[in-house]
This record gives sequence, structure tokens and C-alpha cells, in this order.
Amino acid sequence: MTHGRGQSSRRVEPGPLARVEGEGSLRVEVRDGRVTDVALNIFEPPRFFEALLRGRRYDEAPDITARICGICPVAYQLSACAAIEDACGVRVSERTTSLRRLLYCGEWIQSHALHIYLLHAADFLGCRDAVELAERDRPAIERGLSLKRTGNLVMETVGGRAIHPVNVRVGGFYRAPDLAAIAALAEPLRRARQAALDTVTWVTGFEFPDIEGNYLFVAMRHPERCPMESGTVASSGGLDASPAEFAQFVVEEHVARSTALHARLFGRDHYLTGPLARYAINAAVLPPLAREAASSAGLEGLVRNPFRSIVVRAVELVFACDEALRLVESYEPPDPPASDVHPIAGFGAGATEAPRGILLHTYELDGRGLIRSARIVPPTAQNQLSIEDDLRRVVEDGLDLSDLALTGRCEHAVRNHDPCISCAAHFLDVSVERQ
Amino acid sequence: MTARVVVTGLGSEFRRDDGVGVAVARAVIERHPIGPDAFVTSVDPFRDPTDLLDLWEGAELAVVVDATRTGAAPGTICMVELDHAALPGGDASSSTHGLGFAAVLRLAHAMQRAPRRVVLIGIEGADFSAGKGLTAAVDHSIGEASDMVADLIRRAAPCA
Repeated sequence: MTHGRGQSSRRVEPGPLARVEGEGSLRVEVRDGRVTDVALNIFEPPRFFEALLRGRRYDEAPDITARICGICPVAYQLSACAAIEDACGVRVSERTTSLRRLLYCGEWIQSHALHIYLLHAADFLGCRDAVELAERDRPAIERGLSLKRTGNLVMETVGGRAIHPVNVRVGGFYRAPDLAAIAALAEPLRRARQAALDTVTWVTGFEFPDIEGNYLFVAMRHPERCPMESGTVASSGGLDASPAEFAQFVVEEHVARSTALHARLFGRDHYLTGPLARYAINAAVLPPLAREAASSAGLEGLVRNPFRSIVVRAVELVFACDEALRLVESYEPPDPPASDVHPIAGFGAGATEAPRGILLHTYELDGRGLIRSARIVPPTAQNQLSIEDDLRRVVEDGLDLSDLALTGRCEHAVRNHDPCISCAAHFLDVSVERQ
Repeated sequence: MTARVVVTGLGSEFRRDDGVGVAVARAVIERHPIGPDAFVTSVDPFRDPTDLLDLWEGAELAVVVDATRTGAAPGTICMVELDHAALPGGDASSSTHGLGFAAVLRLAHAMQRAPRRVVLIGIEGADFSAGKGLTAAVDHSIGEASDMVADLIRRAAPCA
């Protein structure tokens, strides 16, 4: 809806923003051709998970926190496990780590396929939604659904079901899948890997607005592999911190307009997690196939154009399929399926790479293994301020656009980061005021 | 999988009456002989809604059983043959988590993978709060609703 577009005052108020998870709105104020204020108003009701965890047993955290999100439950389960195991001084076996990584690959595949094909591609192709895209390019949507199905299959095989898996526990798994079940994933994953390579080719052909962000990238780092389920936290500014140190460095503040906390590094710098950050920190350790895909897509060095995040996400699809296949081919069931974990009083921190970025959990346990305090820092809360910064640039760059086109560009800019407001609140009416 | 008739119970059994579609699907399996031309299943919150696209592949008739909230008396059963062109529009994926039934059906039509006929059997719910168990009036409607589903199967797939 557009009100009063004129030389001195313009105001744009479209309906709720679609193709993001959760409820919120966006308000932009423009004065004399400059953006004076950008605000993501997140009114998704607060969900109180951190309070809900107090007094619960240490081994309940993975399943309770998994319910925060139906798209990235594995991220919640594995960050919770990592934090609890850190508190209890437990290191899981390499076989357990590999199986966790395979499960995580399944989540990355289904989440990235969903975002690229059903949520984001329509923005680039002038379609209203995935239905219109399916009418125009059915093979593309078939490819996306096939990828998503393969991700679901990996999660069902390792985790017991595609949404909110039930096989994850502190210390490992309730049951290790047998060799035949894992081997049966190989052929679907080979097909998915080819579909992921085709996805890179497809999205590389999109047109991208020429906008760049001056991001501080923050992603996990691992000495031996592309990080997913473990590692330290690194930044493009030189940070290299353990999850426990990172938890100290991230300062969250409450602002009136949002039920999600705003995160800053050292209470000062806003930063970006997610695909662009992972590529900035870990491009050099990408396996050969993903590196070749990135090169063929023209991704050189840092990618600072947020609209090209869809290309990086597609490269991550290649990585996740390829990595899953490697893990399938080298699978040895963890025996026992879980390490013994005896709770002790203490503090633990765990961080993993959710599809949208770093997910940090910390827990304080008492001597009986009850949770005294919990802290959950999801990717979207960390990215909020960077998203607002993107919007400022997008609006200033697009002041000549019609209100309708500018609103569409803003929504597109938000979707670049695949935000999950349900996770963070623990989005979107857009209002642009021009004066 | 290919079946001429695909029956799907939708809903969450952890949201009381929202689970009636799942309960009816279960009752159809328990109370009625199902031949090879029919397939009865459920899509609950732990299953990807786009699974419906695969379930419907090659089907002549899709029967979807779900709870309704129309203001009718709890347990009231309605049967509607759905015209996809008349389905509510809007964005097909306004929520990443909740790709709705209407959106999946529109997607199926766009991809030419929709069944020729889609019949919705709705059972009016009263309590959609968290927890298990149906209210009495809704529970009492399961038998009649499952008979209606079985009748649809018989007429669409007489050999079943």
C-alpha cells in the first residue's frame, strides 16, 4: 500500500513480509535523500526457552531446545550437546562426531534447498512465489524438491525423522544406524550432489544488485575441516576464540522494538554470521569439488554483496552433499553409540554452524545435573544489526525506485540472510517514510 | 509409490482436536480393508508437508482429512470437493516452517502433479490447545468420518 508519494513526503506500508519465518515489520525513514532510521520491529512473541530450561535435567536440553525451530532442530540439538559435554568434560568419539556431521549435512541440504528454491529464487526471477516459479520453470522446482527430499532422507536415517529428530542425545546417539541403512544413502546423495552443482550454475545466472556491505564476518573455524559441529570462532577482524570465550565477547541488548536481543561483539561491533561469513573464513579449506563450484560461479576472495549469498548457499549445498557422501562411504557405527556423561557442577559452552550461522549455547549445571542457567544466541539475533545496515544501503541505492519496487528490494535484502525470527525471538511489514 | 486413491490425515495429535485427521486415518486402516489401489497415511508436524507431492504422484483421488474451525458444532463433519483455482491465494510459503496444505496443492497443480480430484473431509474441532486427546464430540465423529473415507475409496477404486 502506498500513501502520499510526492516530492517532500512518501510513505510505503506494504503487507506482512512473506517467505521468512516469524512475525515482524520493517520501518525505514528517509530525509533529504538519506536514510535516517531503519528498524526491524520483531513482534514474534517471546518464547522464554532459556527460562524454561532452568531446573530441567542436563540431558533434556537437546530435545527441549530443538523445538525452537522446525528447520534447524539439529543445530539446536548439537549446540546443546556440545555445551553440556563441555560442562561435563566429555569428548565424544570420532565416529560419533562423523555421524553427527552426517546428520548436520542432512539439515544443511534440506534447509538450503528450501531457502534457495522455495523462498529466495523467486526474488531474482520476478515471480510472486514458488508456485509461480513452478509454473514457469518446473524442472527447477523439481530439482529443489528432490534436494530437499534427500536432506530429509539423511535426517530420517540418522535422526529417526526429518523434523525434530529423536535419535540425538548428550554423548552421542541412542542407536547407531546399521551399515546397510547408511549405505543406502549413497545413491540419492550422488544425485543430490549433481543437482547441487546444477543449482550453482542456475543461481550464478541470476542478476544481482550492485551493493556491498562492510561486514565483520564471524564464523567457526576448524583446523582439519570445514566446521559444522565443532570448532573455534573466528572473525575477519582476527578473532579466534573458543565457544566459551565467544560467549563472553558477545554482548546482547534488549531494544524496545524487538523481542529478539541485538548482539554485538565486545558490545560494540555488529557482525554477520552465515554463508557469506563461512565463505570468508573457510573458503581455503573447502573440499575440491565445492572449491571448483565456487570458482566456476566467480566467487573470488570475500563476497560482500549480500544478494550473492544465494550463490554461496548453493556452493554450500555442493559441500554438504559431497561431505555427506564422504561420510557415508567411510561410515563405521559408533560403538557404543553414546559416551557416558556424568553431570558435574560447572559451566559449558557449545557452538555449531546452523544453516543460517553460528548457534551458541551455554549452560550452568549444578552438582545434580540440573540446569541453573541457560543462554541461547541464535544466528538471526546476531545478524539483525547487519541486516538493518544492508537495508540502509539498499534504500539509499534505490531511492529512484518506485515505492513498490523499493519495498520488494527491501524484502529481498532481508531474505538474503534467510532470517528465522521464531529462532531470534525468542518479520515483516515494511514502512518507508520519505521526507 | 503409486495408488489410485491416497488418503492423508493432517494435523498434530499434540494439539488435541487438531489431531482428528490423524485419528481418522488410523481408524480407516484399522476398521476397513484397504486394497492395493489405495494408500492411507498421515502427515503430522514431524513430516515435511511437501511429502504430499510425492504421495499424490499418479493418484486419481486424494482424500484429505483435517480438523476445521468454522463455528459449527464440535464433531460436525463436512465433505468438500476442492477446486484448486478457488483455493486461497497469497504467498505459497509465507512461513518456512508451515508450508500449508493449500500452498502444497497449488504447488502440485503448478507442477502438474496434483490428483485429478481432491476431497476434503473436515471435522469441526473445539479445543486446539496443547496436549493429547480429543474432545468427546470430536472423538465420536471418527467412526462416521472413517466410513465416509472408506466409501470414497470403494467408489474410486472398486477393486480395493
